[in-house]
Amino acid sequence: MSPHRRIPVTSPQTRLAHSRRRHRTAWRPPSLDPTEARQALAVYRAQRTRAVVSLAALATLLFGLPIVFQLFPALDETRVLAIPLSWVAIVAVPFPAMLLIAWHHLRAAESAEDPE
Amino acid sequence: MIAVFAVAPVVLITLLVGLRGVAAMRTTSDFLVASRRVSPLLNSAAVSGEYLSAASFLGVAGLVVKDGIGGLWYPVGFTAGYVAMLVLVAAPMRRSGAVTVPDFAEARLASTALRKLAAVTVLVIAGLYLVPQFRTAGLVLSVVSGSPYWVGVVIAAVVVSVTLAVGGMRAATYVQAFQFCFKLLLFIVPAIWLLVQAGPQVRHEAVHPVEFTHFAHDTPVDFGLEVTLELDQTTTVRAPDGTPITLPAGEFRVAEGTTLVFPAGTEVPGVRGGTAPGGPGWQRPLLDLQDAGHPLLGTWAVLMATMLGTMGLPHVLMRFHTSPDGRAARRTAAITVGLLGVFYLFPGVYGTLAKVLVPQLYLSGATDTAVVALPSQVDSGMPGTVFTILLTAGAFAAFLATSLGLLLVVAGAISHDLLPGGVARLRYTVVGAAAVVVLLALPSARLDAGVLVTWGFTVAASTFCPLLVLGIWWSRLTAAGAIAGVAAGLLACAGAIVATLFGPPVAGWPAIMIAQPAPWTVPLAFGTMVVVSLAGRPPAWAPAAMLRLHLRERLDPGPVRGRDLGHSSWSARRSSAVRRSTRRLGR
Repeated sequence: MSPHRRIPVTSPQTRLAHSRRRHRTAWRPPSLDPTEARQALAVYRAQRTRAVVSLAALATLLFGLPIVFQLFPALDETRVLAIPLSWVAIVAVPFPAMLLIAWHHLRAAESAEDPE
Repeated sequence: MIAVFAVAPVVLITLLVGLRGVAAMRTTSDFLVASRRVSPLLNSAAVSGEYLSAASFLGVAGLVVKDGIGGLWYPVGFTAGYVAMLVLVAAPMRRSGAVTVPDFAEARLASTALRKLAAVTVLVIAGLYLVPQFRTAGLVLSVVSGSPYWVGVVIAAVVVSVTLAVGGMRAATYVQAFQFCFKLLLFIVPAIWLLVQAGPQVRHEAVHPVEFTHFAHDTPVDFGLEVTLELDQTTTVRAPDGTPITLPAGEFRVAEGTTLVFPAGTEVPGVRGGTAPGGPGWQRPLLDLQDAGHPLLGTWAVLMATMLGTMGLPHVLMRFHTSPDGRAARRTAAITVGLLGVFYLFPGVYGTLAKVLVPQLYLSGATDTAVVALPSQVDSGMPGTVFTILLTAGAFAAFLATSLGLLLVVAGAISHDLLPGGVARLRYTVVGAAAVVVLLALPSARLDAGVLVTWGFTVAASTFCPLLVLGIWWSRLTAAGAIAGVAAGLLACAGAIVATLFGPPVAGWPAIMIAQPAPWTVPLAFGTMVVVSLAGRPPAWAPAAMLRLHLRERLDPGPVRGRDLGHSSWSARRSSAVRRSTRRLGR
């Protein structure tokens, strides 16, 4: 047995309540107080701008690369270390580029929601 | 023998790691989202482990053999889905406090009908995804060990349902994270070994592909399924026992379960609905789906379906709910992009080597087994057997990890969304659902796993993707709009599936739109949601419900200075102790 075993420390009533069939609690409309609403709106707008930028970059990458392959069939003939350049590009371009977009967006999104 | 060495350790390790994760569970949240205590690194390993199913471990290399280098666009789309998830969905969805996707829909739009519809959609997607996993587990085991098909299916079901019923999401998390490392190792090491061992001749042929027109050596081909061959000239082949068989020119139906040995130098017959690997179209890095003559459109359609489908897969979304907060969910998505990127560097290696060493697999339609078939082609001795065992073990781990997540999502949809109950009922549901899936998988041995999974992605892309994106980013979305959009997406996908199965053959770009309908079903679902929502009127609380998702979780839950406590809704959301004291102050 592992030394870090979790032991239930709930009261018998709580355990009883958990084991019973739960009825959904009444739904309460979500609310934000005015300060939070203002802050949330600002964060939402900032995030939306960043999301549009990141998505545009992603779409350009994904839908642009096939166009490049279509327009330049010569890439199949050019060889890097004997491998056709287009075969290298289909693996070596999208994955690092997507990681870069993800990393950049992560930093931008986190800085947008940090309180000033 | 191979089966025992490959599968037994995977099964044992899965159960052991799963049992290690067992902890006291009292609430639905404990069972379904591991009490939301999973750190980003562990969670991203678990997401990747869950996501790298048979389709990634075996399927992509098989697609490269069958469709050409363009098959490498599939993993690009699979990974891009996580970038989109990071940008659009991860953090806000986690902040909704939901446990499942239907939960999220109800939290955002307050509609029980939508919740039920979303739960049914979860069942559809999970069914389309889960049946192929169990089926492939049965097939792989029967190929390597000769056991009957049902043995593998039942083993997979028992291991998965026991792990889940006992340990819930916490056990699944540890198992999936462990299996990610396991799969990564078992995929990369054999790839490097194969490259080194194959020798300069094979490596040269791999990057200078020639069309597969003549058999280079005596080649036995196992036809597991019935196949129609097209022969240009009368061909003499041999049965395994050496009896010559003459195939007449023209079309020839090979019966299920036949093995034919094609002698060296024989012309390779054509297969209806396929082109020989290595041809000029094969070398192009674009996907000419259905041979429609529109490679660009085909590539885009696949990218859209895989990317947007990933964003709507319920078992992946559920993993993000295990993060402690929105930020952790976002970091999880970002790390996942990196982890998947490392794994997906290698399917191309298997695909190009398989094109040289086992191109005959395309005749029998068994390109999915290319990865497992490679080691014995390179080395017929002990090392070859060892690497076959390793790759089989990796493939089996892939089915198990994916099935864990899917089965959990099915249990959540049934016992949390449709008929809410406690933890005990969730445990029974897991076992019951596994039994149902086994019954579904037993007669599906002949189904094409790739096609089913593609449909799963398409349904996810045209239902949950619009629901999540509009729910998170557009406050005017109404419940009626969401219901109409999800229903429209479901119906459109069902129409495309019916057209594929029973419709007349079509050519050109309509063929792509039927086989890979995401380019029109996704805009249709988005459009329906927007139009129906604009016709209605969102409730007054809708902007608050949306903005709430973008607000960072409070770091310290203490009271904020300078509030007018009596006239603020703030007190209503505090804990009961705080609420009591503020009420006293306001009096």
